[in-house]
Amino acid sequence: MSVVLSAENLVKTFPGVRALDEATLTLTAGSVHALLGENGAGKSTLIKILTGVYRPDGGLLRLPGPDGELRTVQLGNPQDAQRAGIGVVHQERNLIPAFTVAENICLQHLPRRAGLLDRAALRVEARRCLGLLDLDLDPDLPVSRLSVAQMQLVEIAKALSADSTVLLLDEPTASLTNDEADRLYGIVRRLSERGHATVLVSHKLEEVFAVADTVTVLRDGRTVAEAEPLADHTREQIVDLMVGRAYQQVHLADRTVDADTEPALALDHVATTAGHHDVSLVVRPGEIVGLYGLVGAGRSELAKALLGLDRITAGEVRVHGRPARIRDVGDALHRHRIGYVTENRKEEGLFLDQTVARNTAVTVWRKLARLGLVRDRAERSLVDEYADRLGIRLASPDQHAGQLSGGNQQKVSLAKWLAADCDVLIIDEPTVGIDVRTKAAFHELIAGLAARGMAILLISSDLPEMVTLADRIAVMREFAIVGELDNDHDYDRMSQSVIRLIHDGQGVVA
Amino acid sequence: MKTETAPEAPAASPAEPRPPARVLPVWANPRLGLLIVIAALVVLFSSLTPAFLDPRLTLAPLQADISVYVVVGLAQLAVLSLGHMNMAVGRMAALSTFAMGLVYDRLGVPLLVGLLVGLAVGAGIGALAGLLIAKTGVNSFVVTLALDFGLLGLVTILYTWATGGVSFAVQPSGLSALRFDTFADYCTGEVCGPRIPLVVPIAVAAALGVGLLFRHARLGREILMTGSNTVAAELSGIPTHRRIVAAHAVSGLLAALAGFLLAANNGAFSANIGESFLLPSFLAPVLGGTLLAGGAVSVLGTALGATLTQVIYKGLNLLQFSLEELKLYIGLVLLAALSLDRLRAVIAERRAVSTS
Repeated sequence: MSVVLSAENLVKTFPGVRALDEATLTLTAGSVHALLGENGAGKSTLIKILTGVYRPDGGLLRLPGPDGELRTVQLGNPQDAQRAGIGVVHQERNLIPAFTVAENICLQHLPRRAGLLDRAALRVEARRCLGLLDLDLDPDLPVSRLSVAQMQLVEIAKALSADSTVLLLDEPTASLTNDEADRLYGIVRRLSERGHATVLVSHKLEEVFAVADTVTVLRDGRTVAEAEPLADHTREQIVDLMVGRAYQQVHLADRTVDADTEPALALDHVATTAGHHDVSLVVRPGEIVGLYGLVGAGRSELAKALLGLDRITAGEVRVHGRPARIRDVGDALHRHRIGYVTENRKEEGLFLDQTVARNTAVTVWRKLARLGLVRDRAERSLVDEYADRLGIRLASPDQHAGQLSGGNQQKVSLAKWLAADCDVLIIDEPTVGIDVRTKAAFHELIAGLAARGMAILLISSDLPEMVTLADRIAVMREFAIVGELDNDHDYDRMSQSVIRLIHDGQGVVA
Repeated sequence: MKTETAPEAPAASPAEPRPPARVLPVWANPRLGLLIVIAALVVLFSSLTPAFLDPRLTLAPLQADISVYVVVGLAQLAVLSLGHMNMAVGRMAALSTFAMGLVYDRLGVPLLVGLLVGLAVGAGIGALAGLLIAKTGVNSFVVTLALDFGLLGLVTILYTWATGGVSFAVQPSGLSALRFDTFADYCTGEVCGPRIPLVVPIAVAAALGVGLLFRHARLGREILMTGSNTVAAELSGIPTHRRIVAAHAVSGLLAALAGFLLAANNGAFSANIGESFLLPSFLAPVLGGTLLAGGAVSVLGTALGATLTQVIYKGLNLLQFSLEELKLYIGLVLLAALSLDRLRAVIAERRAVSTS
């Protein structure tokens, strides 16, 4: 197989941090190459060097010339990388919603005639790029009307539009459903059959094993496994390589829940203006109840309706046995001590341009304030306490939340509810985009909270996570609960039952 | 008790480096830059025309003007904290000073009572603007612009109705002291105060109050959080609608105070009060480093920004520039100041990014 990209001994130093320390990556035509590593291992830095955003401090980057011989290149900026045939789909979406599909795909090289946009050529070019993905999408549709999955595919078409031979995909399925992810990976496989080399960065090891053929693992800026066939490794071996020590099994706190305990949160045949109907659910103190379903099944919407963002039209919500009418989040928090750790921490959970101190204390100012004034000392000691307890790595409590890593950000968005002394916590997709080690720490954390008497409603699309954590799993489909299963922690059996429930919608109660 | 309810911290691994704090260097602080520019201009103007340092003819009126425009800037800052704008800041001042003039004229109330009535009117009209914005979800720019247009008509109608002209012929007792006196006019024995106009402490108190609000008060902090991320604020239990109403009410209240200070400086409650407020209301906070995007404010910067614009204005005025030239040069100077500021911020930000 011919080499289409060779990065040798790349070094990149930022003051105080050696982000890349002789990292090496070799790509061959037609391969799907997994690039793995924990947060902070240097994946993003490597990708930014390959796409011309950063310049390496040392090492070589070689690409094949017209004759096929590898020669050293300098990528001074993203345009250079594009011209060299390296296309990238970043984790964050980079489309302009008001522009059409065609305009977005050809944004970097809009065809012009007499200085004006050549619409006909634009459409032809866009169709060609969409054709590479076997995608039948109207090029004149504004991107704002597409689904999340369609946007993702348009991003790929855009990355391919400059005749890219190398395609870098950074967490491409983070916001996709399982079916959509399968479809995307089908496309990736077809691209590799046509000779494109794809680099896949993903935290979802199941997907990596399903689609990739070779793997490079980075740890602390170094390559610890270089372009090895993935088939030679087990999941555990890969995790060992990433973490750098024998993978510790998660130790979850032991819990026993008395079935006679008064539920902390009970939903009785609830219907909402969001479209839920006949939702019944019970969470007792010390219990973790999973709410599983596909993206769009109405799980986050249920949480938001419970918090008063939508109205409850029928049925009853009881908190500690008493009927509760919750008007808004403040009401839920201060009167009923219910907290909601949101799904999209960047959009809904955090104030990225505010300090960690304020992000943590926002829910407790009401308690900390004397005569309407908040004492900085009280706030700071609170933040120190929770940073310490949750293992949040901070240079200072005055650091902006946006500067933290994903795992630390998630801990901050959890900390504000713990600081507020909630006894019912709704946790929505707690480990999306978080690396293996932090994920395990999070699972221990959540189990620990329950062990100390908190009632937890866990919303997750991560079935292994559900089976690890939940005592019972309620399955939601189309805004209704289609069944509830007692979790026996046997992954194969549980996943089969859950998936049967989702697809048949029949209440098979295990 | 809390130590029992929360789980143990997962062991932190030594391999993961601590993220470095991103602190901007001292020279990137816009407040320091403003202070240097102001000092340089004062030196320049006083070397060009010694009259610039005349305590009675120049410095005292300059301080009185600065006082007005600091409060005008704070009125805009109160809603910039949300990422909102108050395009009606001048007309809110006009309506409030009308209310003051009316109660002085018809009811003969003392100075302080009239002021309080005017502040209440200002806060009320601001709250109305906030309520419209929060309930309809329409952009604050559009709502306050429409409000400004409506108030323009209303203020003219009200003055015509109440005075038959454009001004109240009232002089509540104490107004002329606010207008003409400085602390140098008040002596205990041999010791007299500094030559600072009586309006200055009012503006200083307003600035301290707004500073306290946004730095330490729960209300101010929650307004900033709402400005930073409204969705997250709502999902953190902040009553965002009420915070939006409160921020606009504070804006209206400060606009009313600025109107009162200007009326005191002019010695008249007239319909044209507030006409010159809109542009300076944005200049002062923005020069001082307050973001239009919301979530962060600088009260000190606003005070310095207002000082800079008034120093430029006063200096060019003394150098006998015509009104047209004055506007041209002030525009150019401000453009230059803003560009330099932006340039400095960008350079500082680049450095900070490369170290993080």
